[in-house]
Amino acid sequence: MKRLLILSLVCCLICFWGASALAITPEAQPKVITSASKNVVEIGLSYSGDKIFFFGVNPVPGSDVVIKLTAEKEEVVKLSVKGKVGPLWMTVKQYEVTNSPFIYKLHTNKPLDQIISKETAQELELGYSAVRGKMKLHLIRGEAAPGDEETVWQGLLKIKERATLYNIVEDPARLEISEGKLFKHYFRFPPAATEGRYQVESFCFQKGQLVGYGKDIIEIKKVGLEHWLTQTSQNHPVLFGIMAVIIAVGAGLLVGVLFGKGGHH
Amino acid sequence: MEIYLPIAGMSINVFLILGVGGGVGFLSGLFGVGGGFLLTPLMMMIGIPPAVAAASDSNQIVAAASSGAFAHWRLGNVDFKMGLVILAGGILGGTIGVQLVKILRAMGNFEFVMTVTYVLMLGLVGGAMFVESWRTIRRSKGATAEAAMAAPVSESGLTRLFNKLPLKMDFHRSGLNTSAIFPFTIGTIVGIMAALLGVGGGFIMVPAMIYIIGMPTIAAIGTDLFQIVLTSANVTLQQAIVNQTVDLLLALVLLSGSTIGAQFGAVAGKRLKGEQIRILLAIIVLALTVKLFLDLVLTPSDLVSLAPAKGGGH
Repeated sequence: MKRLLILSLVCCLICFWGASALAITPEAQPKVITSASKNVVEIGLSYSGDKIFFFGVNPVPGSDVVIKLTAEKEEVVKLSVKGKVGPLWMTVKQYEVTNSPFIYKLHTNKPLDQIISKETAQELELGYSAVRGKMKLHLIRGEAAPGDEETVWQGLLKIKERATLYNIVEDPARLEISEGKLFKHYFRFPPAATEGRYQVESFCFQKGQLVGYGKDIIEIKKVGLEHWLTQTSQNHPVLFGIMAVIIAVGAGLLVGVLFGKGGHH
Repeated sequence: MEIYLPIAGMSINVFLILGVGGGVGFLSGLFGVGGGFLLTPLMMMIGIPPAVAAASDSNQIVAAASSGAFAHWRLGNVDFKMGLVILAGGILGGTIGVQLVKILRAMGNFEFVMTVTYVLMLGLVGGAMFVESWRTIRRSKGATAEAAMAAPVSESGLTRLFNKLPLKMDFHRSGLNTSAIFPFTIGTIVGIMAALLGVGGGFIMVPAMIYIIGMPTIAAIGTDLFQIVLTSANVTLQQAIVNQTVDLLLALVLLSGSTIGAQFGAVAGKRLKGEQIRILLAIIVLALTVKLFLDLVLTPSDLVSLAPAKGGGH
């Protein structure tokens, strides 16, 4: 009995050891020292996106660099899929998509498949196929069809790429590495990137093995009038509605006074 | 110059919105219509989420109609009793409409229902206007336009029918003694449309008041503006509470554009004949109808679209 217990304990230990040896823990790697041109992006009245420069030092000179921009929290999106009903196109089913990043941008110094294996890419969520592999679909309305997963993924990708929330750039000119050590690049934060915390993760790979990891946090927040309007509309919708009406009436009457006779109705 | 719209959650060129607002303002100054029915579809075309477009348009209408309403009130053109009966319907309709928007958005078919309604409504209004103005133009060549135009304004069959309904009331300002049921019903219908489409509804309300209820034209216009201000105010408030889709910044930029545009439109309107103006408006409305209809029947470029979880149009 005692022997059996010891044996099972040893088994457990081996399993545990094996599992942790398989999993890649980026935080355990040598730190990639990085710096961002700024860590806070403010959305003001004339905001139209922002560009942030990043610099980093490669811990193992000559290794490849992969940099990933994601939002700290994952989003749940609802997607409507159109279908033909009689002669008209309308929404026929809806999917809820979980485990998909709100924003996903990747910069590499050469094509990703030349840097790491598919397994490593999947594990560290690098590349679109890894994003797609992690994404989960839940049908909430309508009937599922065989090709739906592909349709929804392609649709989501198109929406995200159009808003420049998703993109992958595999270009040594875009992610410059001076003498194999100092790397620099920039991420463009599109106007569609809303308030929240974003993380920029730098991965360094030597012959497909992770040899360095670093992380920067960028915070986007609305300021001034934008902040106040958004907050009020969400937290005090009644007050916001009343205010919208009063301001509109005031503006209308002011226009009436300015232009002599009333309005254009 | 870019402007960030906090509720729409997007950055857009401020001159584009001023231009759209100014263009619609110009047309409304030229044609003497509100223009809400043109503004919402145009905003959707420049990328504003449909629900935000409709709700912010309602907000803009409050402003655009209030100065006119105030002017008519001072001239004594508002039949308050009639206005309140219509308004009661408008409040009911607006409240139903906003809930309808909420349900349709959750189902992912708000844009579809909105587009279908627009196609039917604009097709009908544009078609009728085109036929009427075309006939007038052809007739004016025979120089008997005035006589022909004056004919149908006498008491219609519908007016007599609605007179027989119960709940009769005296409307002193309009000099009428008629049932309150029809004004209330038309108020409700226009209220629903105000929420669903972001329109004031004057282009339905005014003809209904003149031809069906039988009100004098000037009282119909004054009373319509009075009820538009309050119906749109109700819709704005409810959209803000239920759907959180009112973008005040967007509404104010639109208002600035449309106010300036309307001044130019009014000047241009004096140089054109009535029927020329109407046929021009009819062509614009029909072109918009065709565009929206094609959106419904042609294979969309995007089969998959984001359905809003809550507010913001995202």
